[in-house]
Amino acid sequence: MKNRRHLLTLGTAFALGALGLPALAQQPTYKIGYQLPLTGNTAQYGIDFKNSAEIALDQFAKAGKPFKVEIVFEDSRSDTKEGVAIARKFVDDKAIVGVLGDFTSGVSIASAQIYKEAGMPQLSQTASHPDYTKVSEWQFRNITTQAQEGPLNAEWLYASGYRKVAVIAEQTDWGQTVVSNFVDKFKALGGQVVFSEFFNRGLADFRPIITKIARDKPDAIYTGYFYEDGAQFLKQMKQLSVTIPVHSTSASYNQQLITLAGADAEGMKLTATFLPNNPAKNVQDFVAAWKAKTGQAEPGQFPAQAYDAVNIMLAALERAHPNVTRKSLRDQLAATKNFPGVTGDTTFDADREPAKKLVRAQVKNGAFVAVDK
Amino acid sequence: MDYYLQQLVIGLSLGMVYALVAIGFTLIFGVLNVVNFAHGEIYTIGAFAGLLIFVTFAPPLVVVLLIVLAVGALTGVGLERFAFKPFRRFSDEATLKSRAMREATLMSSLALSIVAREGIELFFGSQFQALPLSHMLNSPIKIGPVTIVDGDLIIFGTSFLMLAGLQFVLKYTSVGLSIRAVSNNPLGARYVGINTDRTIAWTFAVGSGMGAVAGILVGLYYGAIFPAMGFTPGIKAFVAMVMGGLSSIPGAVICALIIGISEALSSIFVSSVWQDLVAYAFLIITLIFFPRGIFGGARERV
Repeated sequence: MKNRRHLLTLGTAFALGALGLPALAQQPTYKIGYQLPLTGNTAQYGIDFKNSAEIALDQFAKAGKPFKVEIVFEDSRSDTKEGVAIARKFVDDKAIVGVLGDFTSGVSIASAQIYKEAGMPQLSQTASHPDYTKVSEWQFRNITTQAQEGPLNAEWLYASGYRKVAVIAEQTDWGQTVVSNFVDKFKALGGQVVFSEFFNRGLADFRPIITKIARDKPDAIYTGYFYEDGAQFLKQMKQLSVTIPVHSTSASYNQQLITLAGADAEGMKLTATFLPNNPAKNVQDFVAAWKAKTGQAEPGQFPAQAYDAVNIMLAALERAHPNVTRKSLRDQLAATKNFPGVTGDTTFDADREPAKKLVRAQVKNGAFVAVDK
Repeated sequence: MDYYLQQLVIGLSLGMVYALVAIGFTLIFGVLNVVNFAHGEIYTIGAFAGLLIFVTFAPPLVVVLLIVLAVGALTGVGLERFAFKPFRRFSDEATLKSRAMREATLMSSLALSIVAREGIELFFGSQFQALPLSHMLNSPIKIGPVTIVDGDLIIFGTSFLMLAGLQFVLKYTSVGLSIRAVSNNPLGARYVGINTDRTIAWTFAVGSGMGAVAGILVGLYYGAIFPAMGFTPGIKAFVAMVMGGLSSIPGAVICALIIGISEALSSIFVSSVWQDLVAYAFLIITLIFFPRGIFGGARERV
C-alpha cells in the first residue's frame, strides 16, 4: 500500500516534469530572493513589503513578458544573525540572481558582507544608513537617506522661524543619522539645538522625555521615529498639554500614525517621497491594487518603496534578459535611469544612491497633505 | 520645582502600572513557589480580549473589566491545567520539594507563553492594534502645577481594590484559607483534607484574572495593544516580586512603586535609553544585599 502510493507520487512527478520541461525551455524563470521580517516586532513592515512585491509580480506576470520571475521570501525577524544565514542560503542557490531587502539598515549591512563576497546584487527598499551602500558595488537602495532628508528639514525649520530646536530619535544606527544630519545643517544655518536625546525603540512612556523637553522651551521638536513610537509620542504630548510644533522624517509617514493617535497627530509636519493622494496614474493604480489585495486603507511610504524596489529589479532583469547573471543584473541595476516609480523618478548615481524629490507634508483633518511651508 | 513634581507623578503612575501586574504574579508564586512565565501573555490576552469586546459590543468600562476578569481567570485555569498540573502527578514529599519539578514548570509556562504570543501575532499581526480613541484612558486632569490623566486614577483605584479584595479573600474566605494553607505547606494541606489541585486552580484563576484586567487597563491607558506588550511589564513585575521578598504581595506593590518612581527620576539625570537599567540594577542589588527581599519574611532565599 505504502509502496503503491510512493510509485503514484513518483509517476505524478514525472508526468508533471515532462509537462513542465518544454514550457521552461520557452520561458526561462529567474529567481529573486527577498529577505524581510515576517515575524517578530517588525513583522508589520515585512508583511507590507511582501504584499507590495506580490502586487508588482502579479502586474509583471500579466504584462506578457518573455520570461517569468519568482520571488523567494525568507523571514529575517529583523535579526542580524538570521539575515546573515538567509544571505548564505540565497548565495548558495545558484538560481537566485538578485536579492531584495532587508528592512533595517543593521540587518541589511550585515547581510551585505555575504553578498559582497559572493557577488550578488542587493537592493534594499528601506536601508537608509550611509554605510550600507559603502559596503561594495553590489549594494543599492531605493530610499533617500538622512544625508538628503536631514539638511532639507533643517532648512525647513529654520525658514519657519524656529531658532531653538529639541531633537529626539530612536537609539539605532538610523536614529543617529537622523540627528547628526539635521543638527549639522541646523547649526550651520545659525540655529541652536537645546535638547538632544535618544530613546529605545518601543518605549511605552515618553512622558519623562516630554517633560524634560518642555522644560527647555524649544520652538520646535525634530523627531526621528517610526509611526508606532510617533503615535505614542504625540498622544503623550497632548496628555501633558505640551503644544510645541513637531517635525519628523519620512519614516513616520504612515496612515496608521493617524489611526493610532487620532486628533493628537494633527499638525505634525514631515518630509515624504510618496503621497497616496497624488493623482498620477501609476500611483492611483498601486493604491487601488493595494486596497484590493490587503483590504487596508492607503499604503504608507514603505510599501510604496518596496513596490518600486521590486519594479526596479524587474526592469533591470528585463534589460539583462536573456543573458541574466548576477553580474549582468548588477550592471543593469546600476544603469537605472529615471525609473518612473510611485515614489518619484529614480536614478542611481555612481555611489548607487537614489536621487528622489522629497515633498513637504502635514497632518490635516486626519490625512497627510502636501504643504508649501 | 514643578518639573521635579511632574516627574515624580509620572513615576508614581508608572509604578502603579507595574504594581497592577505584580499582584497576580506574586500571588501565583506564593502558592506554587514557581515563576509563571506566562503571566505577561495572560496580560496580553486580557488586553486583546478587552479590545475585541469594546469593538464588537462597546459596553461600559466596568462591564468590559468584569468580562476580561472572567476571560483571564479561565485562561489561567487552562494554563494551570496544561503547563503546571501534568508535573504534579506525584505528590510525595520528595517530588514536591524537587528542583527539577520547579524547573520543568518554569519551562512549560515559558513554552506556552511563546505559543500564545506567536499565535496572537499570527492572527492579529505584530503591529499596534487600532483602538477606538474615545475609549482611551488618557484625558488630562490638571492638579495645580502637575498633569495627570483619568487613567491614573482608574489604575490606582483598581490596584487598591485588588489589593484590598485579595487581602479580604485570603483572610476571610474558605478559598483564601486553603490558598494560604497550600502556600504554607502543600503536603500538610493535603493531609488535613484540602483539595490542593482545586486550590491551585483557584489561585491561577484569581491571579490570572487580575493579570488580564491589568492588561486591558494599561492597554487603554497607553493606547498600545500589541502581541509583545506583556514582556516589559512582566520583567518589571518579576523584579518587584523579587525585591518584595517573593511571596509578599504588599511588598511587591511597594517595590513596584519604587521601581516606577526611580525610573522617572533617573530620566532627570541620564538619557532615557538607560531607563530600563534601573529595574535590573534593583534586581542585582536585591540579590546581593537583600537575599530575602526587602520585605521578605525569613522563609526562603531568593
